[in-house]
Amino acid sequence: MLAELINPYYLQVASFVLINIILGISVYIPLSTGQLSLASAGFMGMGAYTSALLTIHFELPIVLGIIAGTLVAGIMGVLIGIPTLRLQGVYLAIVTLGFGEVIRVLFVNWESLTKGSVGLSGIPHMGREILASLREFGFNPQSLGLQNNQFIFLTIFFLLLVITAFIIWFFRRQHSSRVGRAFAAIKLDEKAAESMGINITYYKVLAFAQGAVIAGFAGALYAHVLAYISPADFAYHRAVEILVFTVFGGSEVIWGPVFGSLFLTLMPEVLRFISEYRYMLYGLIIIIMMAVRPQGLIDVHLLELLKSKTAKRRQKYGAGNQKSM
Amino acid sequence: MLIEQLINGLTLGSIYAIVALGFTLVFGVLGIINMAHGEIFMFGAFIGVILTTSLQAPLWVAFMSAIVITAMMGFLLEKFALRPLRNKQGVSHLAPLISTIGVSILLENLSHHLFGAGNHPFRASFAQISFEIGSVTIYLVQLVIFVISVILMMALSFWLGKTKAGKALRATAENLETASLLGVDTKRIITMTVIIASAMGGIAGILVGMAFNSVTPQMGLSMGLKGLAIIILGGMGNVKGAMAGGLILGLAETFIVVYGDSGYRDAIAFLAIIIILLIRPQGLFGQKISA
Repeated sequence: MLAELINPYYLQVASFVLINIILGISVYIPLSTGQLSLASAGFMGMGAYTSALLTIHFELPIVLGIIAGTLVAGIMGVLIGIPTLRLQGVYLAIVTLGFGEVIRVLFVNWESLTKGSVGLSGIPHMGREILASLREFGFNPQSLGLQNNQFIFLTIFFLLLVITAFIIWFFRRQHSSRVGRAFAAIKLDEKAAESMGINITYYKVLAFAQGAVIAGFAGALYAHVLAYISPADFAYHRAVEILVFTVFGGSEVIWGPVFGSLFLTLMPEVLRFISEYRYMLYGLIIIIMMAVRPQGLIDVHLLELLKSKTAKRRQKYGAGNQKSM
Repeated sequence: MLIEQLINGLTLGSIYAIVALGFTLVFGVLGIINMAHGEIFMFGAFIGVILTTSLQAPLWVAFMSAIVITAMMGFLLEKFALRPLRNKQGVSHLAPLISTIGVSILLENLSHHLFGAGNHPFRASFAQISFEIGSVTIYLVQLVIFVISVILMMALSFWLGKTKAGKALRATAENLETASLLGVDTKRIITMTVIIASAMGGIAGILVGMAFNSVTPQMGLSMGLKGLAIIILGGMGNVKGAMAGGLILGLAETFIVVYGDSGYRDAIAFLAIIIILLIRPQGLFGQKISA
């Protein structure tokens, strides 16, 4: 019964949704301090290549590879973030876009290491490695009534789900902390924030580096979920795609990129005929959203509205707990 | 050899300069980076290819059509992607940038569907005509491109500097509100700027088609990114800086292919802007703005 329900294809799509959610958050965090970073694809590529190369050549465990990939992307984020702080708005967007391009050109041309545009294959697969190590302890997926394949994709999915949930939880906590308030203040007015004693340099670099870390982390996960990466995976189109997730879903609250990634990753899967026109549709979505609803579908106002509606319903029926949110 | 490479570099650089001028005009007047400029440029190139090869039209017809169509695209871009964002409350200054990224994605994929993903050769009848001065071979195409570019740049400089419309444009670039108080129809000037910039992109597209004998849907992106790099190099909104920056980049790229590794050709532009922004953020020819 369970075995028929678990379709590896759906699980694969669901895993990509989760990775895209993480990527969407990596654009949202710098944007919450008013910095538009288009380098997410580049950082993602750095994370992916670092982890993949380390696990292939040095047979490092995947966990260490992912940590290394995340760290490399984060360090690069700090290195890029400090000088680019001098840049405002559009300049930052161009430099980050340029950074992504430089990274891509590097991946294509450094053939001795990255195998050029052919890409890296044979990257250790996360699910298979987990299965292999569980086998050593005498575990067999058949005992759960699952095929190997189903078990592999199921573990990946749940692992990613836990990771994504943790990331969302972390940034929601951060949003209502001192750091989150500093971010919001900087986004509203940098000068005013500075005059209130907020160290803008620190917080802007922090936001930028956090975005880089998250993107590198998502990239490393991507490499070990797909087991194959090539420079084309981290090109300009990826950067724009990640940006669209956030622009469409909303850049004011974390649920915006989450919703945007979920919706836009599922849409071409559900509506097959759309997938050919996907990028054209992305373009249209961006133009229309900017003209009609530049803050994205989900904003603070909408969330308040939803909250007050559910609160009213609770009062009406007298059910639920009366604790205030 | 050296002189031939110099000529190659100047040809490439003068095309870059025209592309960058389109960026710089829009940025100067609107303070917006038009990310769709590269794609409009690419459409210009495609119109040239299709008219000269499929319809066997003469080159000047191709030029005229490319100018008209890209100018129309500029008008539509302004009307649908930029104007709705102007004077709207609570719109972040990044909104127009993101909106033009949307236009660029739309146009690039539209051209995939319209023209196919492959490479289109550009068959200009005089492409192979060359003559030799001493030991140096010069292709007629290169000369034509260079002359057209120089004429365009001179015409633009004259128009901006001496005519009434050009002065109005500069006034708008200086300060939109003051210009409109002084009786400049800023709405018209803005539309006109975007149209002129787009038409220049279209011309550059045909020139590139002639120079490199190939047109693909991806060329818009790489050219657009280089145009961005050039205007940062030359100083944002600076017309002379865009021309000089284009020539510098063209020469630099040509010489890295000859003396260095051709694979890194596309990365030079960005390495250059990253360095420029760190050392001299106002660009090579820009003036320091006090914050």
